[in-house]
Amino acid sequence: MNRKVNLNRPKISSEEILKRKNFDSVLKQSAFSGTKPFFKKPWFLSGVVALTVALVATVLLTTKNTKSDQPLVNSAAKVADSIALQAFYKSEEAKPCISPPIKGLNVRYTSYKVIAEKGAVLAFKTGSALNIPKNAFIDADGNVIKGAVELRYREFHDAADFFVSGIPMTYDSAGVTYQFESAGMVEVLVYQNGKQVKMAANKEIEIEMASAVDGTEYNFYKLDTLRNNWTCLGKDKVKPALAASKKTLPENSALKKVEEMPEYKKLEMKKTEAEMQKQTEIAMLPKPAAAPMKPTQVKKGKYTFNIEVDAKEFPELAVYKGFLFEVGDENKNFNKSMYDLTWDEASVKEGTKAGLNYNLTLIKGLKKYNIVVYPVFEGKNYETAMNNYQEKFNKYNATLEKRIAEEKRIEAVYQSKVAAYKAQQAALVKLNEERLANLFNQMETSEKVMRVFAISSFGVFNCDNPSSYPTGSSCTATIKNDLNKKLMCYDVYLVDKEKNALFTFTKNPVTRLSFNPNSKNMLWTVENGVLYWLKPEQFNAMMLGGGAKDVVLNKVNQKFETVEEMKAYFNF
Amino acid sequence: MIDTSTYHVTPTELASEMAIVEDAKKNPSRFGVLYDNYYEQIFRYIYQRVDDKEQAFDATQQVFVKALESIHKYEFRGVPFASWLYRIAFSEVNNVYRAQKQRAVNIDSQSVYAILDELEETKIDEYHDKIVDIIGKELPEDELQLIEMRYFEKRSFKEIAALLEITENNAKVKTYRILEKLKKIMK
Repeated sequence: MNRKVNLNRPKISSEEILKRKNFDSVLKQSAFSGTKPFFKKPWFLSGVVALTVALVATVLLTTKNTKSDQPLVNSAAKVADSIALQAFYKSEEAKPCISPPIKGLNVRYTSYKVIAEKGAVLAFKTGSALNIPKNAFIDADGNVIKGAVELRYREFHDAADFFVSGIPMTYDSAGVTYQFESAGMVEVLVYQNGKQVKMAANKEIEIEMASAVDGTEYNFYKLDTLRNNWTCLGKDKVKPALAASKKTLPENSALKKVEEMPEYKKLEMKKTEAEMQKQTEIAMLPKPAAAPMKPTQVKKGKYTFNIEVDAKEFPELAVYKGFLFEVGDENKNFNKSMYDLTWDEASVKEGTKAGLNYNLTLIKGLKKYNIVVYPVFEGKNYETAMNNYQEKFNKYNATLEKRIAEEKRIEAVYQSKVAAYKAQQAALVKLNEERLANLFNQMETSEKVMRVFAISSFGVFNCDNPSSYPTGSSCTATIKNDLNKKLMCYDVYLVDKEKNALFTFTKNPVTRLSFNPNSKNMLWTVENGVLYWLKPEQFNAMMLGGGAKDVVLNKVNQKFETVEEMKAYFNF
Repeated sequence: MIDTSTYHVTPTELASEMAIVEDAKKNPSRFGVLYDNYYEQIFRYIYQRVDDKEQAFDATQQVFVKALESIHKYEFRGVPFASWLYRIAFSEVNNVYRAQKQRAVNIDSQSVYAILDELEETKIDEYHDKIVDIIGKELPEDELQLIEMRYFEKRSFKEIAALLEITENNAKVKTYRILEKLKKIMK
């Protein structure tokens, strides 16, 4: 056979190949398209439709003339309702691929700062890890990004997460719609200066997602938000989760740093405020006068001077009468001749030991002497001074004791406040430790495996298994509120606790709502942002028996701030 | 050589795939999962062996139509479902050859350099065209298939053995003999 050699023929991208995928045409081209029973053949179906239309038209035309006006009015109202309903369905179908059903309630992102040229290994609170290579990001023009980028990450693990996120959990493969049973889902987005960035060619972020689901039957998909469908990227790898003891929380976990919790910081501030208040109160206490000076009796053989001093300048001396200044032993040059001399001038200044000694300056002509002197009393004056001192000392002592008592009281109040704040902080630390322990316990019980996959673009990825609606029983369900009014809702969600899925039915009434009656089931739907649900204990009573059912849902009056609150409400 | 094969699966994955196959036997619409999983690799297998892109897409479509129509006959033999699809693809490629009366050999220079590297030949630019010529025109079909799988598609010997229904050791021996042959012809 002849051969034709092509050298370096252009390569075809996966995108181009996937674009040409068309399972529907495979089905049509296969023998299966010709083996349908006659009642499923297009010619038969279209004939039946034409016949039905003709019959309905005939009935309408023949009854129109015989009926009163009132039913016609009712018909008009029904037509108007029908048009409104169709418009509502159209608006629902036109919604973006990811449409959270309840405003303000969603799975929160965790943000990480990554230096693009360095890469990073990021740890998520569930135990998951992201391995980001160096230079993994490019901007819209294809330039490799340098510097800090913000990586936003979140995970979805159960029906409540799937529901609030508004991420579709149905998979359309060649015209057949499957319901996803999930082993976990992640969303990864990266921004620089508020602009979303792309993954560089040949770069991949490896993700180890902690999962409670350990099967290997799950495929790996990416959500194509333009096609509103999932694209199968292959399979993930499953490996055992780390032992609980080896698990660590991410460095930026709020739980880990109790000192950074606002409540803790507030108490720290209160402690500082209490300290400042204590110091202010002590400063404002009346200050006792200076301690009175205990009089000293003149010593035998010592020289003394009788000098009058200014009471304003030396108030400690002014309180005493008849004191003398005794020449101290440190004045080695002092002698009798100096004592006998009549000095022209004598002045006193405070000495080196305040309140105890003084400097006496004696001047005679050009001669000038400085002498250290001590106040002393003699004879009767000493006795009077001592009595005077005792009286003043008692008063001083009483004031001092009063102040000390007041300072003690202020200190006690301060210590009691600080002790209370410390106790509150200790309680916070304990609470935090308990939360941490719970978190670790949860991690231990919920994480069975790590599901490993690599992403080469950003968006929503999941490890899911396409499955069908649960089986066992079914009915046609008209979803109503407790006033028996049909709800204007589009998506009706079945939560089957035996399956990690969010089974989605559309339009009200749901033509065929199938379920497993042996499971714990509940229904959710949303009308105008208000959540309604059918409780598990009401489910079988309302749904079993087949045929057409009016399914009355309960309005959820509680406003959920977080998904955790919602999970607690629905007993997840 | 880096093994880029997507062919090998674990026993658990095999069991999981078998469940899908059994499901598809009962409900043809479930065959869509297998179609999604294998479409690209079957297309690439065919495209490597035919001249034209559209021919490759048409042949790929035929492979899956035939597989869907015959899936009730499929029996699990301990190898991935892909090996059955490759057999159908091989047959479909032969149909293209018969219709075109021509066999396409698609060679890329990087693979040629990889072969020259294994031959420990340093004058790669000098021998590049010669190798292309020998592979494209002179090698018999069975040897060309081995070179295609090993060097152009970068398949492991284990996978080549499974696809050609020979032993892994036999695949290795045959490949090295071809390399020896190339070396001799070049000199």
